[in-house]
Amino acid sequence: MEIMRIVVTGPVGAGKSSFIRTISEIDVVDTDRKATDETAAWKTKTTVAMDFGRLHFGKDVALHLYGTPGQERFDFMWDMLIRKAHAFILLVSSHRPQDFRAARRILAFMRHRASIPMLIGLSHADNPAAWPMDAILLALGYPSSHHRPPAVSVNALEPASVVNALAALIEAYARDKWQNSTDSIKMHSFSGVM
Amino acid sequence: MAIDVTKLEVLLQQFVANVSHVQGAAVVSPDGLALASSLPSGMDEERVAAMSAAMLSLGERIGRELKRGEIARVLVEGEQGYGILTSCTEEAVFLILADHDAKLGIINLEIKNVVGEIRKQLLGLAQPVGL
Repeated sequence: MEIMRIVVTGPVGAGKSSFIRTISEIDVVDTDRKATDETAAWKTKTTVAMDFGRLHFGKDVALHLYGTPGQERFDFMWDMLIRKAHAFILLVSSHRPQDFRAARRILAFMRHRASIPMLIGLSHADNPAAWPMDAILLALGYPSSHHRPPAVSVNALEPASVVNALAALIEAYARDKWQNSTDSIKMHSFSGVM
Repeated sequence: MAIDVTKLEVLLQQFVANVSHVQGAAVVSPDGLALASSLPSGMDEERVAAMSAAMLSLGERIGRELKRGEIARVLVEGEQGYGILTSCTEEAVFLILADHDAKLGIINLEIKNVVGEIRKQLLGLAQPVGL
């Protein structure tokens, strides 16, 4: 059984904890606490350390999902979690443009520490106030449709949608691995990375 | 009665000044915001608060998962000393930093006493602190 560690990150309220709770096969290890900061106005609980969930993907891959806190004051958790990750998902609420800057900061933080495959998951895409995908990617710093990470819209409460996002991420991961192994003699086997 | 942050700060300063080997103390909300602190210089209150909340919540979660019951405190022991986290009220977590010569028994008693005082302050039950 090979283990693939996936970090689920993004600004407060993007749906990171829901994403993991929706798909985990075990009881999610969460660290929710009552929110008392500015997020308390629109959600009651917030993650202060991490969420952990697990599921099997195919016959011999176990996905370990780690959810980060959203607030920047917990960036030491971002750092701890991303360093051991094989890939990560940046979740962004499509209807909260005020969060795009925070999302971009998280993205820069993660990119700086790990060059691993990633996926942008756009939540709340069905909200009437949602921005179109291209506009959000632009706001996140990807002006051209080339050289941009894969992006999908995702409903964090819908198992099929979460699976779809994970599949897209794993595909990106496999592509990256294949490229690395053909680009150089250095082989990046799945187990070699761990 | 409103929480008197100044009195809370004074309480922490007195605790740090009077209890030997204690180097710093902070009261933070369970979601990682500082309520009051008296920390060694160079230590960022905001970071300390977030770390305290993360550590206590993970500690409590480990306690639950590994059937250790209610968690009384989380203790980190390093070469340079101790960091001890205690749940204070539903709304507050108490952190102290002590150097390595601290006697844990004494420190634990002192924490118990001061947590009682902090609780009174936070719940607005306190008499004015005699200065």
